[in-house]
Amino acid sequence: MRKHDFSFGQGQEEENEINLTPMLDVVFIMLIFFIVTASFIKEVGIDVNRPDAPTTQSTPEDSNILVQIRENDEVWIDRRLIDPRALRANIERLHAENPEGSVVIQANPKSSNKMLVTVMDSARQAGVYNVSIASN
Amino acid sequence: MRKNLIQQEEEENEINLTPMLDVVFIMLIFFIVTATFIKEAGITVDRPNALTPDEQGDAAILVAISPNDEIWIDRRLTPPAEVRTVLEKLRLENPKGSMVIQADEESTNEYLVIVMEAAKAAGIANVAIASEGN
Repeated sequence: MRKHDFSFGQGQEEENEINLTPMLDVVFIMLIFFIVTASFIKEVGIDVNRPDAPTTQSTPEDSNILVQIRENDEVWIDRRLIDPRALRANIERLHAENPEGSVVIQANPKSSNKMLVTVMDSARQAGVYNVSIASN
Repeated sequence: MRKNLIQQEEEENEINLTPMLDVVFIMLIFFIVTATFIKEAGITVDRPNALTPDEQGDAAILVAISPNDEIWIDRRLTPPAEVRTVLEKLRLENPKGSMVIQADEESTNEYLVIVMEAAKAAGIANVAIASEGN
């Protein structure tokens, strides 16, 4: 009689235990789905006119460093043709004269993106992180 | 006595799943939280080189401009006139994300400016131009 009682108690205990296997299956499938869909894209680039300084907008037009890119990818600053390798030095000099000014690039619609990024990169090398592109 | 021993052995043989379940749940929550669902442009472009690029961590929308000045958004070729509408729709899905323009070296700046103006009109605050990292 005592033996019978014991086995009855054991059976109830087994029934009380929840079977976790189906939930585990579902959780694993969700885990795999999110691992697969997670796209770890590391995109690098140059910010255009990041509005980090509230005074940027009030800067007078004439105090900006104006860089022109012509149709044939020539770069002109202050009515002078500048070699792309000398851009950094030129922008550095103008930035020293006028530390508040940002660089404004006037790109001809037919100029290439390569030259635009070269100019933006040179400006950042010269320490001017506020670069904007003028639209005609 | 004998029965007791068998029962004990059985209990020891059962693996305790609770710690593994904890780990799996934490991984699941991590992947759900970090999933940002970036809208990829759909084409690969030859980006211009730059020495001072920043990592664009919160990029949500990628717009590509091919060498022959076609604009690709969300794996579809998009006419310049529809860029703004498409960007507005994508911005609603992730309002805080920034935009990265993947313009090919050989693409002209006319289309770059078109995309930038469309982004401005659509209310996207942060726009960057993709470059090759150093």
